[in-house]
Amino acid sequence: MTRLILKRLLVSLVVLWLVTLLVFVATLLLPGDPARAILGQQATPERIAALQHALHLDEPVWQRYLSWLGGLFTGDLGTSTSTQGPVTTLLADRVSASLVLLVLAAVIATPLGLALGTWSAMRRGRASDQVVSGISLVIAALPEFVIGVALIVLFATTVFRFLPSVTLTPPGEAVWAQPSQLVLPVLTLVLVVTPYITRMMRATMNEVLDSGYVEMARLKGMRERTVLLRHALPHAVGPVAQVVAIQLAWLAGGVVVVEFLFRYPGIGQALIDAVGKRDVAVVQAVTLLIAAVYIVVNLLADVIGILADPKLRTEAVR
Amino acid sequence: MEARCKPTDVSRRRFLTAALAGATLAGTAPLLAACGSTVAAAVPSGPPKRGGTLRVGVTGGGASDTLDPHIPATNPDIARVLNLYEPLLLRDHDYRLQMLVAESLKSSPDARTWTAVLRSGIRFHDGRPVTPADVVATFRRITDPKDPKSGAAGLTMLGEVVATGDRTVEFRLTSPNSGFDDLLGQYSLGIVPADFDVKRPIGTGPFKADTFTAGLQSTFVRNEHYWRPGEPYLDRLSLINFSDDDARINALLSSQVDAIDQVPVALVDVLRSDPRVQVLRSETGTWLPFTMRVDRPPFNDVRVRQALRLVVDREQMINQVLSGQGRVGNDLYAPFDPAYNRQLPQRKQNIAEAKRLLAEAGKPNLDIELVTAPIQAGAVEAAQVFQQQAKAAGVNVRIRKIDTTTFYGENYLSWDFAQDFWYTRNYLPQVASGSLPKAPYNETHWNDPEFTDLVTRASATVDPKARTGLLQKAQQIEYERGGLIVWGFVDQVDAYQSYVAGFVPDRTGISLSGYQFRQVWLGTAEGGAA
Repeated sequence: MTRLILKRLLVSLVVLWLVTLLVFVATLLLPGDPARAILGQQATPERIAALQHALHLDEPVWQRYLSWLGGLFTGDLGTSTSTQGPVTTLLADRVSASLVLLVLAAVIATPLGLALGTWSAMRRGRASDQVVSGISLVIAALPEFVIGVALIVLFATTVFRFLPSVTLTPPGEAVWAQPSQLVLPVLTLVLVVTPYITRMMRATMNEVLDSGYVEMARLKGMRERTVLLRHALPHAVGPVAQVVAIQLAWLAGGVVVVEFLFRYPGIGQALIDAVGKRDVAVVQAVTLLIAAVYIVVNLLADVIGILADPKLRTEAVR
Repeated sequence: MEARCKPTDVSRRRFLTAALAGATLAGTAPLLAACGSTVAAAVPSGPPKRGGTLRVGVTGGGASDTLDPHIPATNPDIARVLNLYEPLLLRDHDYRLQMLVAESLKSSPDARTWTAVLRSGIRFHDGRPVTPADVVATFRRITDPKDPKSGAAGLTMLGEVVATGDRTVEFRLTSPNSGFDDLLGQYSLGIVPADFDVKRPIGTGPFKADTFTAGLQSTFVRNEHYWRPGEPYLDRLSLINFSDDDARINALLSSQVDAIDQVPVALVDVLRSDPRVQVLRSETGTWLPFTMRVDRPPFNDVRVRQALRLVVDREQMINQVLSGQGRVGNDLYAPFDPAYNRQLPQRKQNIAEAKRLLAEAGKPNLDIELVTAPIQAGAVEAAQVFQQQAKAAGVNVRIRKIDTTTFYGENYLSWDFAQDFWYTRNYLPQVASGSLPKAPYNETHWNDPEFTDLVTRASATVDPKARTGLLQKAQQIEYERGGLIVWGFVDQVDAYQSYVAGFVPDRTGISLSGYQFRQVWLGTAEGGAA
């Protein structure tokens, strides 16, 4: 089992390295260069040349890639071309701000989805089950942008006006110092993620509740609570963990759109700004970070899957 | 916070309609009308009140934001620079030159030497008086050959700057320039102390820098040493970057900011219907021309250029592209210049004549590529409307839409047929920027010896009447054979909460009264919390 997990870990590292390569090539393919992007219409040939030299843009591509890759191992993510300061400084506050969003959304969405799915499965065919299924189907079909805009119209600008529609954190203050600013972005992410978890949990629970051992447990006269917690739930955890993982990993990428919409000062905003300014180092750092979240979360899901699945568990031991 | 709407005011269907259309907010007009009626705020009147914080949502900016007075690139940069620093002189709301750090600026009869007298008693933020040495050092910083700043490109004729007295500075030019005062009146030429360091951003502006976070927001406090008595009225000013139109408008509607710049034209009517919000509309000299390279086929044939100018229905452009927020153009720029040539007949759509010219040029079925990018609101739309209008004359326009960074990338200024975007300028400075063979932004590769000669002579002419005559002849040449299609001038539209006072229309094209927040005051305490 340990070997299986180690193998997954190794594959993850290779994938991460491939991501660095892919991102680097992709950013090179972006037309236009950072110096011009920063200077905009104010660019004169003299100012462009001076800036290009200052940004090391006159060095060969492979040299820039290698020095960046080397820096990764020492925690140096390179120099932002637009601020001309270290990327780590630029992203430090941004990462923690995004993390707050992600963790809050995950902490709310995961138990909510699992509970709703289980509740729904136990009420299969009844009106309440159909309502939950219907609503989750509709919300799942909506892109996060639409959900976010609808929430803004509903709670911030037009119908009710008691929540802020954008994040206006004064410099030097943490985003969570004004919790009301977090409500709508977190709610949007929760609404995007919860339906999938709910639907997957419901489907899995239905399957498990139909199985022989649950029937057996019920025939033995066990209380429904015990049947559910002791016999049904553990069998549902494995497959559902995969879906939850994919959803949580998706959060890391989906946060880009949500941050844009709510002007939330996280990595998503930084990424959008960096793409516009052709700030390669920042684009790479953020993309790598999102990829790393994907990989780590998937790895954890795999591990949970291995631990939860008796077949895999015994195969691994052999 | 604000008086809320009862949920019963709004039917579910109306809400859903609004929510579905909400990506652009365009659908919320009926909602606003339904629910805003109880919250109309009284528009402030009477003498200005002191105090409070103004929170302003400004478009654009990013991690490369700066407090450097001499390299503002984005709107937030420009807003910061205009409130922290002041040049010797600057264009006012009516587009007239107004003395700021200088008390006067006079030209020698040959227009080769310009003498500025500094305003008496004017001080920097730290209380030190402004000296001629500071002015000299400022221009040395701007024109540093190792690191030339934005303003350097327009000052190529500046030979040396010399302190000649306690309060006088002399600008000695390498070639005569009767419009040098115009060139000095740029916001990117703010006067700073000789020991200036961008870490200590000191100028003579109405506000002092307090905090600054690139890409997010910057705050300012009142400059107690400011030379205009009574101003500024605000205690604090907070400029907040917005990269997205919707977020900016939502912030205004949810009362998180007191004013926003650049309302998309499609949303003007939506905001007008909200009684809590005032819309500020300014006629400007801002233009979004189509640029034809006069040195490359097919545009090297003057008949093709004339035909394409005749293809444009300018009224339709204004209505469709700008939702009516603009004025038609006549293929000339600098409408506020005293020398603007109004005698030339207004060019109108004439498909028959366009077809005749194209046939005469041997190109009856012209097929051209137009490079466009969202360089400014309306640019891409203008390209699309032009494509439709050109069809009538048998001209096939293929639109190639790219992103803004690519547009201003290495091919900028070498597209055969593209667009550009310019703020208000007077004629000579605009020519120096874009219509001379050596101009830094000569998109059309315009190189007309007769035109250049007229402009050179006008630059050296101090007599206003003689100068106007020369400039109008130069404009006639551009009108007849130039490479620009100037279909219109764009109105600037901004919005603010009704309790804010002091915003006035501004012709410069710079948003929110030219970002002159020194004149703004708050009618109620609502803007106080920030």
